[in-house]
Amino acid sequence: MPLVKVQSRGTENVGGGRRNIVINGAMQVAQRGTSETGVGGADGFFTCDRWGVYQGGTDGRLTMTQDSSAPSGFANSLKLDCTTADTSIASGEYFAIYQRFEGQDVQQIKKGTSDAENITVSFYVKGNASATYAVELFDNDNTRQASQLFNVTTDWTRVVKTFTADTTGAFDDDNAQSLQLNFWIHAGSNLTSGTLNQTFAANDNTNRAVGISSFFDSTDRTFFITGVQLEVGSQASDFQFESFGETLSRCQRYYTVIADGSEFVSSTFGMGAMYNSTNVYGSLKLPTAMRTGPTADMTSGTGYFNFFRNGGADAFDSVTLSVSQREGIEFYNQSEISGTAGHAGFFRIAHSNAKIALTAEL
Amino acid sequence: MNINTVKKNINPITNELCSYQVTFVNSNRVLSVPINTENTDYQAIQEWVKEGNTIEEAD
Repeated sequence: MPLVKVQSRGTENVGGGRRNIVINGAMQVAQRGTSETGVGGADGFFTCDRWGVYQGGTDGRLTMTQDSSAPSGFANSLKLDCTTADTSIASGEYFAIYQRFEGQDVQQIKKGTSDAENITVSFYVKGNASATYAVELFDNDNTRQASQLFNVTTDWTRVVKTFTADTTGAFDDDNAQSLQLNFWIHAGSNLTSGTLNQTFAANDNTNRAVGISSFFDSTDRTFFITGVQLEVGSQASDFQFESFGETLSRCQRYYTVIADGSEFVSSTFGMGAMYNSTNVYGSLKLPTAMRTGPTADMTSGTGYFNFFRNGGADAFDSVTLSVSQREGIEFYNQSEISGTAGHAGFFRIAHSNAKIALTAEL
Repeated sequence: MNINTVKKNINPITNELCSYQVTFVNSNRVLSVPINTENTDYQAIQEWVKEGNTIEEAD
């Protein structure tokens, strides 16, 4: 039998298990939808799961898309396309995309201890023209931060930035937000008038985004990002790919779709029964335990939902949470349905625009 | 969140406050938010109240 020589690959950044702390770094999962117009007027989550928008005061608007443009080996990116420019930047304006991490998921960084680890962030970016933006790590537990600039060109480029270990301020070991990864692409002087703070220090807003250009300087502006990885150590390892199912399951800790009429008008969302003549109750076990008791996030309207029972269907407009736990929910509708106590039935979406999702985002 | 209204939901079984129903300006989006301090939508409602807004009583 021939012998096979196994070559060493070194040890740094090659630990077993999951290295990438970022969820959905390859922008595979977009449960909320694949495109959203007019983004810039409100905070929130719009397309790719786990990637939020943080904004203030800008008149700039963009379309956010889960896009098929991507570097070799990737299938998707998150695309921002400026649709309304904002070239008069007031001091308090800002726009960033971000991902937040639970404290219990970043303990391996050993932040705030003498054994604190360096953190390396890597990602692929491109744009319509050259631009300079900032990537920031923000310690929410101790109000500390560090930022580094990166350049965007018209070609896909992998950016690697290492942040020096911070021996001050430990992350809480809980399910609340401890670390936030920000990409600043537009900011006024409140965030740019100081000196860029490149190693962890007590937060001074004026030092957070110094030196960036503005994404909203032209409606020609685009920004694509994918392959986002945040790992312990001083080198970037290859992006850690995972299956769609793995990524979806990780995303469902924070957001999960229960029923979506745009996918199937008669989507079912569980069984229920008339508790009395005017109140119908239902319950659901969730596919993944969520971060905390979730919010029910609905698109509602007249007759958007149905309760089928006793050979017919009763239409109703929305549901109300009566119990919200990490593993399951109980919901009811009051007074839009009338029937016989004890009748069992099942719930369905009744309109293509109707949707029910559960959210427990950070 | 660009909140329009927040109203209390009283569970018909227990007659206790069980969640808030949230509507938004120019939107048919509705949230049913649990009474849970770990929930960031609940936290946002508390901030909204601190800004001087009022939660409506249940129907």
